[in-house]
Amino acid sequence: MLVKQMPARVESLHELLTFIRVEAKKRGFSESALGRIELVAEEALVNVFVHGYADGQGDVEVRCLVSDDPALTIEIHDRGVSFDPLSLADPDVHADLTKRKIGGMGVFLIRKMTDAVAYRREGNTNILTMTFRNR
Amino acid sequence: MEIIVTNESDIAIIAIKGRLDAVTVPQLEEQLTRWFEQPGTKLIFDLDGLEYISSAGLRVFLTTAKKMKARDGKMGMARLRENVKDVFTISGFIALIPAFDTLGAAQEAVR
Repeated sequence: MLVKQMPARVESLHELLTFIRVEAKKRGFSESALGRIELVAEEALVNVFVHGYADGQGDVEVRCLVSDDPALTIEIHDRGVSFDPLSLADPDVHADLTKRKIGGMGVFLIRKMTDAVAYRREGNTNILTMTFRNR
Repeated sequence: MEIIVTNESDIAIIAIKGRLDAVTVPQLEEQLTRWFEQPGTKLIFDLDGLEYISSAGLRVFLTTAKKMKARDGKMGMARLRENVKDVFTISGFIALIPAFDTLGAAQEAVR
């Protein structure tokens, strides 16, 4: 397992995404799949940056799980407030411009662009697990 | 990310190059805040150079579309790359902001 831990703030984003991209690339994902992985990872990380820690101080940990099957599983760990992002309702993507609400898109994109996604709370840690199959 | 604003008669064209993500979005917001200080009503985003967009970027497009509607303006976007188009499609935003294959077609539409 490959692990990278950084402060949970937006300044860490690019370095964490590069870490994930490099690991995904080693597993042979196509350029378009890499873009999709990066997008989903950003959405999950930004959620932690924004909502994770009440005082804005804390770390986020990215784990790339190694397995024999040609998939990539990423776990995002944080020790912030207990929060299941998957409990959020989907935005109404058919609403017109006047009714369309700002927000809620990040989690929606995570749902749509992963092959599997799950949340669990272990002790004081939020863990979001996202799997991408290599097609 | 690089943002270039040009004006062709009364149409403003905002070209975005690079990555539009949670880190770079404030740059675009700043440009747009400045643009909205003047009374223009025709706005095109040239996305030929846009390599990546996340929900942070989508949010800016939605708020801009709402502001343009509020001032009875016309807005469009042109030359979306395949991956960027995917994000606009999945989010449903493609139905809210007209997208065109060429800059010329976008200009024609807002004229």
